Amino acid sequence: MSPATISFGRASAAPEEHFPSAAAAPFRKVLVANRGEIAVRVIRTLRAMGIASVAIHHPVEARAKHVRLADEAVEITGQTPVAAHLDGAQIVEAALRAGADAVHPGYGFLSENAGFARRVAEAGLVFIGPDADTIALMGDKISARDFAAAHGVPVAPSVMPTGDLDAFAAAAAAIGFPLLIKAAAGGGGKGMSIVRAAGDLAEAARIAASEAERYFGDGRVYAEVYVERPRHIEVQVLGDGAGGAIHLFERECSVQRRFQKIIEEAPAANLPEETRAAICEAAVRLAASARYKNAGTVEFILGADGRFFFLEMNTRLQVEHPVTEMITGLDLVRAQIEIAATGRLPLAQAAVRARGHALECRVCAEDPEHDFLPETGAVLCLEVPQAPWLRFENALDEGQKVTADFDPMLAKLVVHGDDRAAAIDRGVAALGALALLGVRTNIDYLAAVLDHPAFRAGDLHTGFVAEHAAALATLPPDSATRDRVLLAAALGLREVRELVEGVPEPHALIGHWRN
Amino acid sequence: MAVKLTLAGETHEIEIVRRRPHLVVRIDGRLHEVADLGATGAGPGAIAVDGEPVPFVRAESLGTTFVRLAGRSFEVRYVDPRDAAEAGSGGRDEIHAPMPGAVVSVHKVAGEAVTRGETVITIESMKLQTALVAPRDGVVGAVLKQEGETFEKDEIVVRLEAIAGDA
Amino acid sequence: MRRLQSMISTSSAEFRRNSAHNRRLVEAFREKQERARHARPQRDLDRLTKQAKMRPRERVEKLLDPATPFLELSSLAANMAYDGDSPSASSITGIGVVSGREVMIRADDSTVKGGAWYPLTAKKIVRALDIAMENRLPVVHLCDSAGGFLQLQSEVFPDRYMAGRIFRNQSILSKMGVKQLSLVFGHCTAGGAYIPGLSDYSVIVRGTGAVFLGGPPLVRAATGEDVTVEELGGADMHTSVSGTCDYPAASEDEAILIGREIVAQWDRPKKWDIQRDAVEEPAYDPEELYGILPDDIKKQFEMREVIARIVDGSRFHEYQPNYGTTLVCGFANIYGFKVGILANNGVLFNDSSLKGAHFIELCNQNNTPLVFLQNITGYMIGREYERKGITKDGAKMIMAQSCSRVPKFTVMCNGSFGAGNYGMCGRAFDGRLLFTWPNHQIGVMGGDQAANTLAEVKVNQMKRNGGTVDQGEVDRVWEDTRKAYHEQLSAYYSTSELWDDGIIDPVDTRNALAVAISASLNAPLGDPGYGVFRF
Repeated sequence: MSPATISFGRASAAPEEHFPSAAAAPFRKVLVANRGEIAVRVIRTLRAMGIASVAIHHPVEARAKHVRLADEAVEITGQTPVAAHLDGAQIVEAALRAGADAVHPGYGFLSENAGFARRVAEAGLVFIGPDADTIALMGDKISARDFAAAHGVPVAPSVMPTGDLDAFAAAAAAIGFPLLIKAAAGGGGKGMSIVRAAGDLAEAARIAASEAERYFGDGRVYAEVYVERPRHIEVQVLGDGAGGAIHLFERECSVQRRFQKIIEEAPAANLPEETRAAICEAAVRLAASARYKNAGTVEFILGADGRFFFLEMNTRLQVEHPVTEMITGLDLVRAQIEIAATGRLPLAQAAVRARGHALECRVCAEDPEHDFLPETGAVLCLEVPQAPWLRFENALDEGQKVTADFDPMLAKLVVHGDDRAAAIDRGVAALGALALLGVRTNIDYLAAVLDHPAFRAGDLHTGFVAEHAAALATLPPDSATRDRVLLAAALGLREVRELVEGVPEPHALIGHWRN
Repeated sequence: MAVKLTLAGETHEIEIVRRRPHLVVRIDGRLHEVADLGATGAGPGAIAVDGEPVPFVRAESLGTTFVRLAGRSFEVRYVDPRDAAEAGSGGRDEIHAPMPGAVVSVHKVAGEAVTRGETVITIESMKLQTALVAPRDGVVGAVLKQEGETFEKDEIVVRLEAIAGDA
Repeated sequence: MRRLQSMISTSSAEFRRNSAHNRRLVEAFREKQERARHARPQRDLDRLTKQAKMRPRERVEKLLDPATPFLELSSLAANMAYDGDSPSASSITGIGVVSGREVMIRADDSTVKGGAWYPLTAKKIVRALDIAMENRLPVVHLCDSAGGFLQLQSEVFPDRYMAGRIFRNQSILSKMGVKQLSLVFGHCTAGGAYIPGLSDYSVIVRGTGAVFLGGPPLVRAATGEDVTVEELGGADMHTSVSGTCDYPAASEDEAILIGREIVAQWDRPKKWDIQRDAVEEPAYDPEELYGILPDDIKKQFEMREVIARIVDGSRFHEYQPNYGTTLVCGFANIYGFKVGILANNGVLFNDSSLKGAHFIELCNQNNTPLVFLQNITGYMIGREYERKGITKDGAKMIMAQSCSRVPKFTVMCNGSFGAGNYGMCGRAFDGRLLFTWPNHQIGVMGGDQAANTLAEVKVNQMKRNGGTVDQGEVDRVWEDTRKAYHEQLSAYYSTSELWDDGIIDPVDTRNALAVAISASLNAPLGDPGYGVFRF
């Protein structure tokens, strides 16, 4: 794909075509209720659209990149930096004070908080996302599931627990094992567990309920069929809020660790055309039925037998949205803003085209050798390869500290290729050329995954990382490499350079000599 | 004396064998000719090892050098020979009062483990409070002065347990 | 500069004979040196290990920068004295590089009688400090000595250039702004305490290092006070109470590391601007020197052949090539340093003496250090030469040489007899460094000559006193003289008495001179000026 077709900020048509009633930008000023990489991403599109941007930040990140790039910045306070970003009242107050017309919530934090969306709307601001009711509907996993089933979207056979644990156990057994116990109000892998035998069900349900209560304040759990070697397939949808919806094809996000995605791609590998069509159609049907407004993602699990089930719907822009942008040539943030401003979809389904293949790798501050435990340090040195088919989405500054204050994800490396093999080759090469020194990262691990024969073959499922753990473990370097590493390190040290270069002539020339 | 570096838990020695016409070093018994040493400092660089160019990216902070070479990232720790010599010797077993005064608070008891630099006892003298720290990793043997007690200059206020095997 | 053309044939019988002979001499020298450096009674080595002390040579090696030369001086000092009880005179001295700076290293050898100072030990230490003063070389003392060797105290203590001179030299060095560092590895007792005491920086090892004017036994005997070594003069007391020493070290390794770090703080001296060119290896193999030197001291050899195997590219610019041909004079480079060489190809005549004097003047004018390659039996004698004023002309050469402002270096290649030694910068003439080759002999005259002379004196004496000549006694005089001279003429005797700064393998001469010349550049050149030449 040549640079001209990947355009950010100038999607597929001039602004006048989208906003016939306003030759100018849809909003004057947008407050970005987020931080880090996604805030930088949103601000970039705002700037390209000529819209003023307002950043919010906790004192610890007063000089962060997203703050510097925005046109204005407002400081928010809280017990912890995360708590500040979860303080909806303060954020709305900041938006009003700054004179913003709209709020973009990014992903995470308050992006799927119906209360926040409502608060924004009640303050007279536009929330760039779905309505609060839609957020609430899809935010509750059980109600979302029921809604999907009612509208012809396949759902995994499941059972809701009632007060009668025996009945629950019997109904669960009827679905068949293995089962997945999930928290209704949860996500991110918390409150989940796999039950393989009937005997374990009661205890697993009790533990999951208590975890859910602790993390989400809502102890409701349900049991669902557990698909072996499931593939995580999700569909990007756009809705106009009036029942109109389109899809922008699917993404596959099966490579996960700790139930979090680390590699995503678009389109999904080796997907029969009928399956793709069926999944995308189901996603559109769901969005349309819900009169979904703005961008969202419908997540499914796909089994090896071709059966797919609705998992959940995320009522926000996803971390991995760039892979969809790279194959369709669309700017999704721009689409969100346009829908929020005009209530109309930016293009028709027929106009949506996919070309080539895109991959995203999430670069995280963690140690793959030690169960992916988060690491801290500093970004001492950052060298990013440049290419027209490469995006490095980040908010990193050389010299910044990497602390436990925020999420360990540091950046996203996204590559595009004419086909999947080309994209993988480019991904491996780009990860090899990427240098982020000063904190342990998973960069080399991601490259090993991309290069693994099973990945190249498209043999993916959510247990990929565990299944291939042994093959993906790093081997110690050979002695030649080790010596070179030692030399490269030693010759950067002042003490060693002094020893090498500090000896005068003729002694340096004579070298070691004794009489 | 050889330069000691630790990589992946193993310590290696680099010896300078010759400087002219090129730098020749010995690492764990293997000889290498090194040229084009380049500048120090963080960022991308390259050296020539045994005639081949070796590009890398390097950054150093507080004794740890991060090196990215041949598509992999490594961490190399520089072992300061004086730290090694000091550590090997066992260090001091006693904490002396630097001036006459009184004990404000005792933070550790006999038998408790301490790390080098950890505050063991806080004293006051001439309206100044000072934290007295452990000179090395170890175990507190005896606290000789309790809160409120006074002492003279150079008096031993805390004794660490001697390390077995010390001469 | 033109390359010297070698005229010898390396395949000739003579060359091969010489080579075998000289290689044997060098082998014998290396064996002697190896024993003097390393052979020690096992119990002395065991004692060191038990005290967690390193061998003194190990300390020196750890102190030096890696992959650098170390020019050791007088390794065979005292080899013919004290029944061999003091190998290397219980002392290691030499010029080396520490933390990028040239220094004089002086270490006590505690593996020999606890490092006690024999008379020649004191002489060797004084010589090391004299070299430091003349060349403005900073000094690192590695102290570990039991003190003066009491049985020979009258030769160690009282006179002007004995032990006291060490401390006088230390004081003058300090006055000159030349730094001294002491690393105290063992006891510094009595006078020895003044070595760290007079050093600008001192490091002392806890547990084994100690500094006191009198040790515990002496204190007990003198005042009845009972005190341990640590309490009396240990590391902690001296570094935190008395301030006699600056840095305590927990181990010998740490002391050496601290020492290196201290030296790294010292400013690098400004060297005077000697002419320097790119370095070139000699065009001829230095090992050919073994075949050039004769197997008999009475045989002559061509000095240009020697020069060709020492200097850069074997290039030599000869001065007055047609005049005074028994003295070869000219310019050459050694490791890039421009030097003026004077070398003997026979006895010194009037013309060669004048030429020598003139050439020395030219080198002084040109700021060029002088290198004397000695093989001299003396100035020419006889009526013709006396009438031409050989004494005056010899005096001119001695005057020019003595009053030189440029550094002078001497290598005694084969023989150094009589007044020839003087003109060619013998020991008494304050060359910066003086080396001898193992085949070398030195004396007022040769052994045979002396024996003949004294035998003739005996015969004349007998004739005067009685009439009859007792041939037996004359023979005995002849034999005794020859034997005494044989012993005292040898390079080993000379080096034992510290009449030189060490025997070196001829092949090592080039590197030794390079280190020596480099070390000499710290001291500024004196003012020009000569005494009156008697023409």
